[in-house]
Amino acid sequence: MNKKPFLLKTTLFILLFIIIGLPFIPLVLSSLSFGWQWPHILPESFSFRAWEYVLFGSSGTWQAVWMSLLIAFTVTAVNILLAIPAAIALVRHQLRAKWLWEAILFAPIVIPPFVAVMGIHLTFLRLGLTETIWGVVLAHISPTLPYVVRAIIISYSTLSVDWENQARMLGAGPVSRFYYVVLPHLLPGIAAGASLSVLISLSQYLITFIIGSGQVVTLPILLFPFISGGDPAVASAYSLLFAGIAIVTLTVMDTALKKYYQNKKTAIEKG
Amino acid sequence: MKKFTLLMPGLVALTLAACSDESGSGAAEETENLLTDDWDEVSEAGMGQEVNMYMWGGNDNINRYLDEWVAPRLKEEHDVELTRVPVNDAQDIINQLVDEKAAGKNEGSMDIIWINGENFKAAKDNELLWGDFSGQLPNFNDYVDAEAPEIATDFGEAVDGLEAPWGKAQFVFVHDELKLENPPKSMEELAEWVKENPGQFTYPALPDFTGSAFIRHVLYETTGGYEQYQQPAADIEDLEARLEPMWQYLNEIEPYLWREGTTYPESLAKQDQLFASGEIGMTMSYDPALAASEVLKGRFPESTRTFVLEGGTLSNTHFLSIPFNSSDKAGAMVAINEMMSPEAQTAKLSPENWGDLSALDLEKLSPEQQDAMNNVDMGEATLPLEDLEEHRLPELSADYIEIIEKGWMENVAKE
Repeated sequence: MNKKPFLLKTTLFILLFIIIGLPFIPLVLSSLSFGWQWPHILPESFSFRAWEYVLFGSSGTWQAVWMSLLIAFTVTAVNILLAIPAAIALVRHQLRAKWLWEAILFAPIVIPPFVAVMGIHLTFLRLGLTETIWGVVLAHISPTLPYVVRAIIISYSTLSVDWENQARMLGAGPVSRFYYVVLPHLLPGIAAGASLSVLISLSQYLITFIIGSGQVVTLPILLFPFISGGDPAVASAYSLLFAGIAIVTLTVMDTALKKYYQNKKTAIEKG
Repeated sequence: MKKFTLLMPGLVALTLAACSDESGSGAAEETENLLTDDWDEVSEAGMGQEVNMYMWGGNDNINRYLDEWVAPRLKEEHDVELTRVPVNDAQDIINQLVDEKAAGKNEGSMDIIWINGENFKAAKDNELLWGDFSGQLPNFNDYVDAEAPEIATDFGEAVDGLEAPWGKAQFVFVHDELKLENPPKSMEELAEWVKENPGQFTYPALPDFTGSAFIRHVLYETTGGYEQYQQPAADIEDLEARLEPMWQYLNEIEPYLWREGTTYPESLAKQDQLFASGEIGMTMSYDPALAASEVLKGRFPESTRTFVLEGGTLSNTHFLSIPFNSSDKAGAMVAINEMMSPEAQTAKLSPENWGDLSALDLEKLSPEQQDAMNNVDMGEATLPLEDLEEHRLPELSADYIEIIEKGWMENVAKE
C-alpha cells in the first residue's frame, strides 16, 4: 500500500537532485581544472589556483561578502517596514484609484530597474548619496519591494477582520492587536518576501555598480568582470561561493522561522 | 492613517537622503599648482593620500600585480595607499564621469583610470580628464619617447599629456604547435589554411574588440597597406569601394569557418574557450603574452605558440589618466609615476605577473635596466620582443573602426 508514495517520493527526489545538483558538478570541476581539453570528460589535472585567489588572495572577497550581506539584510529590514503598512492599506482600506497605487508599487517588476537607476544616479549624485551604503540600499529597494509587498498582501488577505475585531472587543489597543493578532498571521508572508528580497539584493550587479560607483564592493562586483572576461576557473569559484552564501542565508532564515513557531507552540501549550 | 501608510516609503526615503552627507566643493586652485610645481612638492603633497584606481578587474594576474606588487611598494616608498576598484568595462567609468560632471560633483573618488582608444576619445571630447600632467612625471621624462607616434597619439587621437602610457599591446595569433607546425605568414596563406582545415578557424563577432582588430589586418593586407588610412575617413571619397576586397576575403573564407560560418563566437572569451577545449585550432589576442599566461594557468596546452604576420600586426598603447574631479591628484601622479618606473615595468613584463609589454623606450634605460628587461622569461608561447617590435603596425582611428563594424554586419554577418 505504502509503496507507491515511496516510489514517487524517491523519483521526485532524484529528479530534483538532478535538476538542482547537476549544474553544480561542472562548476566544481571547472573551478579546480588545470587543463581541460576536448574530448576528456574530466579535467586532466587539478589546481587550487582559482580558489586560492578567491578565498585567500588580495581579492577582498570576504569584505565583499560581508558588504553583500549587510546590504541585503538592511534592504530587507527597510522593505518589511515599508511593505507592512503598504499591504495593510491595499488590503484593508477602500482606496480611491487603488489600481494606481498598486501599479506604482509593482512597477519596478515590469520596468527593468536599471532604466530607472540611470536617472536615479544623477539625482543621487546631487544628493550626495552615490558611493554610500545607504544609496545602494535605497536603490536596491526598487527591485525588491514589490515582491515583499506582494507576499505580505497574500498573507494579509487571508486574515479576517473578525480576528482583529475580536481582539478589539477584548480590549486590545492597536499596538497589541497588531503584535498579537496581525503579525503572527503575516509572518509566513514576511518570511517569503524577506527571502526573495535577500536573494534579489544579493544578486544585483548593475545597480550596485552605478550607485556605489565602485566604492561599495559587493560579491557581484568582483564576480562580473571574471564572467565576461573569460577566466572560467575564477568565475566558477566565485559562482559557487555565491550560491553557497545564498543557500546558507536562506537556511538560516528558514531555521529561525521554524524555531519561532516551535517556541510559540510550546508557549501556547504551556500557557 | 490611509494616506500616511502610503506615504511612508517616500518619507523614509527622504529621511535617508537627508541623513547622508553632502560632499563639499573642492579646492580646485590647489590642484592646478600640481601641474607646474616641482616634483618634490608633488610627491610631498601625495603623502598620506588614498588613491582609487578604477580598472577592468577580470584577470587575477593583473589584479594580483597591482594588489601585491604595486600597492605595497607605493605604501612603503611614497606613503600612498592604492586601492584597486574592479570594473567590468572601461566604458562604465566614462558613463559615471559624464554623470558626475553633469551633476557638478567636484570631489570624485576616481583618482586613476585605465583607458585607451574610444574611451579616451569620449573622455577627451567630454572634458572628463584633468589636465596635461604626464610631462610632470620624472619617469615619463626620463624613459619615454614622447615623440613616438604610439605615445603621442591614442588610436589617432592626440594625447596632449592627458594620459600617461602604462603599457603596450600587440596583436598576435595563437595556435597549437602540435596541430599546426608552420603557421601562415600572410592573410593569403591564412585563407589557404582555413580552406584546407574547415571548421578550425573563426573570429569573434564584431563589435568584439579583438574580432574587430582581426578584420583591420584583413583590411591592411587586402587593400594595399595601412598608409592610405592615416587620414580621416571622411577624406577618402571612394572608401566603400576600397573596402570591397576586405568583405570579399571574409565572405570567401566564411563557409570554411567554425560551424560553417553560420555563427561567430560572441566574444574573445568564448573563442578562447573553444581553443582551450581543442574545438578550433587557432585563436588570437591583442595581448602578446596572454597565451603564455594561459599556459601557466593550465588553460591552454603546453604546445601553444603565437605568431605575427610578415606584414606586421597592429599595436596600441594603453594609458593611465586622472579624472577632472579626482580628490587625490598628487597621490595619483605619484602612483602613475611609480607604475612607469623601470622596475615596475620589468615586473609587469613577466607572464607570471601579467606579461604586458613595457611602455618605456628600451634605449633610454641604463644597460642594467635593459638587461633586466631582456632577461624576463616571457614563456615559450610569447614571441621575442624584437620579433614583435619589428612587426608593428599603427592602429586605425576610431572613425574607420565604426565604419568597418557597421560594414561587417551588412556585408558579412547578414549574407
